[in-house]
Amino acid sequence: MKIGIPKGLLYYKYHVFLETYFKEIGAEIVVSPDTNKEILDLGVKYCVDEACLPIKIFHGHVAKIKDEVDIILIPRVMQLKEKEYICPKFCGLPEMVFNSIPNMPKAITNPIYANNNTKLYKWAIDAGKYITDDINLIFNSFNRALIKQSAHKTGIRNENFEINIALSGHPYNIYENFTNMNIVEKLNKSGVGVITEEYLSDDLKNINVKKLYKKPFWTFLRENYGFTTYEALEKKVDGIIYLSSFACGIDSVVTELIKDEIGDFPFLILKIDEQTGEAGLDTRIEAFVDMLERRQENESDIPSHG
Amino acid sequence: MKVTFPHMGNIYLAAKALFDGLEVEYVIPPYNSKSALEIGSLHSPEEMCLPFKLMMGNYIQALNQGADTIIIVGSCGPCRFGEYAELQMKLLNKAGFHADFIAIDAPSDIGIKELFRRLNILTKNSSKNKFEKIQVLYDAIKIMNLIDEIEELAHKYTGYERNKGTCKTILNNCKAEAIKCNNPKEMIQLLKSYKAKLNHIAIDINKDPLKIAIIGEIYTVIEPFTNLYIEEKLMDYEVSTKRSLSPSWWVKNTALVPLKINSLDIRKASKRYLPLYIGGHARECIGEAVMALEDGFDGAIQIFPMGCMPEIVSKSILPTISKDHDFPIMSLVVDEMTSEAGFVTRIEAFVDLIERRRENELSRH
Repeated sequence: MKIGIPKGLLYYKYHVFLETYFKEIGAEIVVSPDTNKEILDLGVKYCVDEACLPIKIFHGHVAKIKDEVDIILIPRVMQLKEKEYICPKFCGLPEMVFNSIPNMPKAITNPIYANNNTKLYKWAIDAGKYITDDINLIFNSFNRALIKQSAHKTGIRNENFEINIALSGHPYNIYENFTNMNIVEKLNKSGVGVITEEYLSDDLKNINVKKLYKKPFWTFLRENYGFTTYEALEKKVDGIIYLSSFACGIDSVVTELIKDEIGDFPFLILKIDEQTGEAGLDTRIEAFVDMLERRQENESDIPSHG
Repeated sequence: MKVTFPHMGNIYLAAKALFDGLEVEYVIPPYNSKSALEIGSLHSPEEMCLPFKLMMGNYIQALNQGADTIIIVGSCGPCRFGEYAELQMKLLNKAGFHADFIAIDAPSDIGIKELFRRLNILTKNSSKNKFEKIQVLYDAIKIMNLIDEIEELAHKYTGYERNKGTCKTILNNCKAEAIKCNNPKEMIQLLKSYKAKLNHIAIDINKDPLKIAIIGEIYTVIEPFTNLYIEEKLMDYEVSTKRSLSPSWWVKNTALVPLKINSLDIRKASKRYLPLYIGGHARECIGEAVMALEDGFDGAIQIFPMGCMPEIVSKSILPTISKDHDFPIMSLVVDEMTSEAGFVTRIEAFVDLIERRRENELSRH
């Protein structure tokens, strides 16, 4: 049986688990190609106008491979951590896809609660049922997939650079090189090293998160807020770049909270949407890097918005 | 301590009664208006949703009138509303205002002790004893239910009335007089008399008015300023409207959530299209659309603020419901730029459309 896995949203973080699991239980995997113009256009064509770019791109990936496969995986990620959500659109993703794209094949849409392994195993059984009845095989494949996933480290940490910045944002914005126009490569070329939140432990992230009035209920809020504020306040990096998709509800809160906490620390928010032009992005990055360089030369604290 | 709270439909009447009864000082912010929105937008992040901006406007106007404590209910769901208190606190500070926040969250998230501690801040200056406090709370809830019932009746009967405008006049008089009452008992009496009045207006039972369901995001459907008084406009067109989301619905629903017996009808109706709660009121929106078509409504209008995450999901589902059942549904997105003319044109076109559909249906038989 051919199972389609769209290369969008949290695929970038959990592809090892998904691919290993479905391969081991005996499915033939079809992964959609890297995001390209065609996929973006398909996404924009089918998806509801108001949605954000990553959701549109996910629609594009589904539309691209839907005719080649027998069954398609639409991960309905409810929770990754206890009492933390991703975004309402993730919870309703299968409904969005099914009501927007015509002639859909069968799909695996069971809700994923990845806050503990028992719940995740339950998902694995439900999802595996479409492919095999062998419960032992499911159990073993699930465990192997988990081990492989935990051995797989995502994240970026460049070393030996004069200037370093913290690159923050949702993982699908950071690793989706089509929409962010190879931002990491661009930064490296202009002599800037990048570090992402995966390289900061949860304990350090939670230092500033605990100071908030309310315990965050979004995983991306806790991670990005904890990471950027720690790096900024401890002066581990020279600046912060936050990659955000246009009209992202979560980022409208996160970036504001970060701004409030870090004060005058250099902070650049890059908005990406389907209209983003590369030249505009380059200019903004160059200006930001210039500013960081000049700050280092002058060795004084010039406010970022001076 | 002078308490204030954000506007949301008629909730200010219940709040007024509550604080009058408790003898706590309070400020009712000026009604939502262009200036409230302008002040709010100035101090809010650009991509924030409309309710946030309006609430900021309410706070600042009330703070300028001497308030110093803000009450807001919260949630810990995946929708942005849960983070309102956090961000509003910081933004008000940044703008140079000093206000204490009392965020009333569900006990499952903050613990029952913390909830009582927060509520205690509110009532500690009150001279009333425990029994009287509970009595006052009961009265306030009663007022909220009454005003919601009155609105519902007025919106329903408006299609059947013999003298055009009766319902609208009664409703407006009711609100204008209720705000003048200075104690809860008086207000309850007044509301009851208006409810009786509405139940005794001259109606033409043979009329078969157009019926439209108002669905969508809770704040924008309840707060008339955000939807440019759509319900009032539809009253002028003699269209009966129904809106299930109301403050009293919200309170009842929230109270029943721990027992998992909340909104059973909505859950049943939405099962086919959206089987899970995804935050906000997306599932309610879908359920109400299905219920509206089952109840013989002529159409539904969905209203939500620009960028509302849960309603974007429901917006992508609604066309399927519309297609499956041949049921007209229109989505209206509102933000601080919404202009009256464009808005009215769309509403009029929609009303025309369902009217003509009905004529065609009649001529076909």
